[in-house]
Amino acid sequence: MLVTEADYLLAAGEKKMKSSESKGAAATREVGNKRSLDIREHVEQDDYRTIGSPFVDDAKMTARNVNVFYDEKQAITNVSLDIGRNEVIAMIGPSGCGKSTFLRTLNRMNDIIPSCRVQGEFALDGEDIYGEEQDTVLLRARVGMVFQKPNPFPKSIYENVAYGPRIHGLAHNKSEMDEIVEDSLRRASLFEEVKEQLDKPGTGLSGGQQQRLCIARAIAVSPEVILMDEPCSALDPIATARIEELIDELKENYTIAIVTHSMQQAARVSQRTAYFHMGKLIEVGDTKQIFTMPAHQLTENYITGRFG
Amino acid sequence: METTTVFLVLILLTVISFLTGRKRSHAVTSGQGGARALHSLPKHYGYMAGLWALLPALTVLVLWLLFESSILASIVKDDMPGELWQMSESEQGLYFNQVVGYARGATDADMLDPAQIVAGDHYRALAESSRVIKALLVFVIALLGALLAIRRIHPKLRARNHVEKIFKWLLFSCSLLAVLTTLGIVLSVLFEAIRFFQAIPIADFLFGLQWSPQTAIRADQVAASGSFGIVPLFVGTLLISTVAMIIAVPVGLMSAIYLSEYATRRFRAFTKPVLEILAGVPTVVYGFFAALTVAPFIRNVGEALGLHVASESALAAGLVMGIMIIPFVMSLSDDIINAVPDTMREASLGMGATMNETIRKVLLPAALPGIVGGILLAVSRAIGETMIVVMAAGLSARLTINPLEAVTTITVQIVTLLVGDQEFDNPKTLAAFALGLVLFFVTLLLNIIALYVVRKYREQYE
Amino acid sequence: MNNMSKPRSATPTDAIRASLKKRYARERRFQWYGRLAVLTGFVFLFILLADIVSKGTPAFTQHYIKVSVDLDPATLGLPAEPSREQLYSADYLGAIKAGLRAMFPDVSGRKEKQQLYRLLSMGAEYNLRDKVLDDPRLIGHSSEFWLRAHAEAGSYLKGQIPAGSPEADRKVKDLQIAWLDQLRAEGRTESRFNTTFFTQGDSREPEMAGIRVALYGSFFTLVVTFLIAFPIGVSAAVYLEEFAPRNRLTDLIEININNLAAVPSIVFGLLGLAVFINFFELPRSAPLVGGIVLSLMTLPTIIITSRAAIQAVSPSIRQAALGVGASKLQTVVHHVLPVAMPGILTGSIIGMAQALGESAPLLMIGMVAFIMEVPGGVTDPATVLPVQIFLWADSPERGFTEKTSAAIMVLMGFLILMNAFAIFLRRRFERK
Repeated sequence: MLVTEADYLLAAGEKKMKSSESKGAAATREVGNKRSLDIREHVEQDDYRTIGSPFVDDAKMTARNVNVFYDEKQAITNVSLDIGRNEVIAMIGPSGCGKSTFLRTLNRMNDIIPSCRVQGEFALDGEDIYGEEQDTVLLRARVGMVFQKPNPFPKSIYENVAYGPRIHGLAHNKSEMDEIVEDSLRRASLFEEVKEQLDKPGTGLSGGQQQRLCIARAIAVSPEVILMDEPCSALDPIATARIEELIDELKENYTIAIVTHSMQQAARVSQRTAYFHMGKLIEVGDTKQIFTMPAHQLTENYITGRFG
Repeated sequence: METTTVFLVLILLTVISFLTGRKRSHAVTSGQGGARALHSLPKHYGYMAGLWALLPALTVLVLWLLFESSILASIVKDDMPGELWQMSESEQGLYFNQVVGYARGATDADMLDPAQIVAGDHYRALAESSRVIKALLVFVIALLGALLAIRRIHPKLRARNHVEKIFKWLLFSCSLLAVLTTLGIVLSVLFEAIRFFQAIPIADFLFGLQWSPQTAIRADQVAASGSFGIVPLFVGTLLISTVAMIIAVPVGLMSAIYLSEYATRRFRAFTKPVLEILAGVPTVVYGFFAALTVAPFIRNVGEALGLHVASESALAAGLVMGIMIIPFVMSLSDDIINAVPDTMREASLGMGATMNETIRKVLLPAALPGIVGGILLAVSRAIGETMIVVMAAGLSARLTINPLEAVTTITVQIVTLLVGDQEFDNPKTLAAFALGLVLFFVTLLLNIIALYVVRKYREQYE
Repeated sequence: MNNMSKPRSATPTDAIRASLKKRYARERRFQWYGRLAVLTGFVFLFILLADIVSKGTPAFTQHYIKVSVDLDPATLGLPAEPSREQLYSADYLGAIKAGLRAMFPDVSGRKEKQQLYRLLSMGAEYNLRDKVLDDPRLIGHSSEFWLRAHAEAGSYLKGQIPAGSPEADRKVKDLQIAWLDQLRAEGRTESRFNTTFFTQGDSREPEMAGIRVALYGSFFTLVVTFLIAFPIGVSAAVYLEEFAPRNRLTDLIEININNLAAVPSIVFGLLGLAVFINFFELPRSAPLVGGIVLSLMTLPTIIITSRAAIQAVSPSIRQAALGVGASKLQTVVHHVLPVAMPGILTGSIIGMAQALGESAPLLMIGMVAFIMEVPGGVTDPATVLPVQIFLWADSPERGFTEKTSAAIMVLMGFLILMNAFAIFLRRRFERK
């Protein structure tokens, strides 16, 4: 009953994962001290084919032949997609289309859902994400996440930002920590607004400020990729605009994948856009092109507002 | 007439009134198109008549039963010869109990003196007439009520609204009972406690360092001040409660954390109910377990280690009390931890924290007020727990914080002072109520604070 | 703005990698603490139950010794044609003693004889008397009778006395052991199911003590508790959920209910003593008062669980009923209560189980008396099962320890049944 020895590495629901994952990733081999993954070609299924250009030359993250199940229900069907270095990729589609689920597979947040099963190959800079040797702690430090609803911890603003560096042991003394906190808040363009009240609870901020605090918290551990799961859905238009501005600034240093409900937002912030429908990746391409000349009927229906 | 018979007849009268009321409602509309002309359904008129018959009569019956014996006793006592009043209150009680026993035919006449027999006959006669009056009164009131209601029946009468109003009041008085109970507790305990404080200064009670109620009842000795000092009892109670919390809090809290954050669903579904069995075990069972198994075991272990352990050590009682409280702490913590939104877990795990970092640095700090509230409730329960300590803790009050020694608690003293024959003029007996007062207020305070803290905590995440 | 702060020195990956080992070790330790805590709970539960069961199981059997008794009218002190009354008060003890002496003719001396007689229960003569009353033709003949063994002798026969323990440490003496061994060898001892335990009341002698009176007391008390607490509790819950206006008084009532749920049970005992016994002079030790006190105690549980059950009824049912013109009360009685009933019953059963196991407040109102008579009603003196356990737990004899544990097993059996029923109800309720 109690969990086996090998499972101690993993948090609560992550156990199931461990046993089912990486059968498809058997090609994973260790090379030097970095593991690399021989990315297999995307295998097409008979009935559907992603239109456009899911693959890029300089990929930060790659995903191949991804299938995700919740118990028996299939949430994602045979999706392959690259995320380019320092690009902002937007994932759009009607609710329940699997875009959030896909996003969460990228830093293994699905592991905490016991009923969730993930198949396929994922790589971050060529390293297998679901590999035997991969470590969720390290992975999640490198691939940060910002959630739909602002979720600051019930701690002070300072402590919220300092949380990541603190658990990962990134600061060696108080002044280093101060520096990280200030830097992160600045990058999240929140510092000027809160510098007088760093010891006030983060939950006391406005919604937009809270979300920027969450972004500051995520970048405090210097991630390489930031996943954003509908970061503005709980915010008013003005707060949304500020976050969008921020995303634009952040893309200089980070690779960003953003799931959004708002097509305008996707159009404004992203360079590439991926359209998901019923768990399938229908079309990927240049944002401009997707919004001006969608190739697939479903994409066109969606961006012209026929459903969604 | 026996009470049961009176009650049954009353029910019968109620049914008859119901039927009559319903019939009458048909009768008053016979010329106007029958039941359609009525405001309410015929049965509502029936209910109305029935309730009018039942409720006032039932109230009178219950009041009569409650006050009957005390009133009878005071009448008989007033008529008894003067020597009764020269006896002490306890002797009076015994003396009078014989009178009542004789009147009920339970005590033989040859054991009593003539005055008692006279009084006993008097009592019996009074009781007899009381029975008759009671029955008559109840029936008359029932009939009057029914009659009044039936006479009022008229097509325009809003019988349904009337009946519903009565029911609403009935429901209301049921919920008011909770307030009455609290009031009853406070008044009864306070009343006796005040009598106690007339004999023993309240300061001596609260700050006295010595508790030995037995020495104070020698005939020539008025309760010596200092013998009723509650401090050692308080210290003993806290000592045992502390031991209990030292067991229950870590085990309960860690179990809750493990079950809610780590365990598989199946393991949790199996484990939680099993551990909750501990909460369903009657306290007397824990007491038995503490006194006959745990205490000797601890004593033997202590002796093997060369320690002196009292056979009724605070450690044994506290340990077992801790076991009892484990599921309590567990389910409270479980509720509280589950109330922390999942977004907190996601936020922390999402940036690469391990589960235990998430728990220790995010969940527990967020849940802290709730957990503190839960622990306060557990402490209140430990302080008020009676059977375990009555069976496994000591009787003599010792001012010590060594858990290997025997200490006594507030609840133990209440039980010891009150079990057996009680004399209500004696500080010894009254002291129990003073202790009860302290116990009630301490636990009340803890509960109010705890419930407030927990409620505030929940509101925060709602 | 972006130029102001360049990305910090390289990636922190290496720093994190370096700390991983330690962090995982901590994670592993933390999980072990959790497992340890759960295990501790299990171990405590197991020890508790194993202790009770191992102590209590022997109490369900009882040993009998076959004695040949000569029912000579002369020894019994009976005339030629004895009346039933004379049969009732005949000297059966003398006959039994004579029978024992006849079986062990070498026994001499007062002390030794005393020991011999102590092989049998003090109640053995009543055993014999009942048999004779059933069949008076036994008089004048010598026959074999199975008579109940004394608790200490029984304890030896059950093998509870370790061989070779010093004689001073045990109540069964060496001589008695020799006799018992001899009786056993002759097939004159027998272990039977202990019916006495279920058919008798309290007694000073462990082998004659039973829980029948306590069971009756518990039953009467519980009936009173249920009759008071259930209707009042449900009514109060209905009022608070469906009718109560949002005002100070309602708040006060709610706070009161929540607090009463956490008031120590002994305080309810004080209330019962001061109000019902001293003020209203209701009979002491009676299930009536016990039931009233316990009902006040369980009322909060019933109210709180009933409210939860009523709350769980979907508002659409209410709207549907109100929509067709039913009054509020009709809606509640016809539609809400039937749906909520399983939940309400579940809560009430749990409340009743609490009341069944409760003893502290009953000590206060005098339900601790030594009672041998089965109570005939709610005003007769009675005791209840938990209090009987408390009383027996105080008796030093080994026989009583065993009986106490057995009584606990019976009590726990009832509690498990009640809770199982509650769980069953809840499961059915949830499935709907």
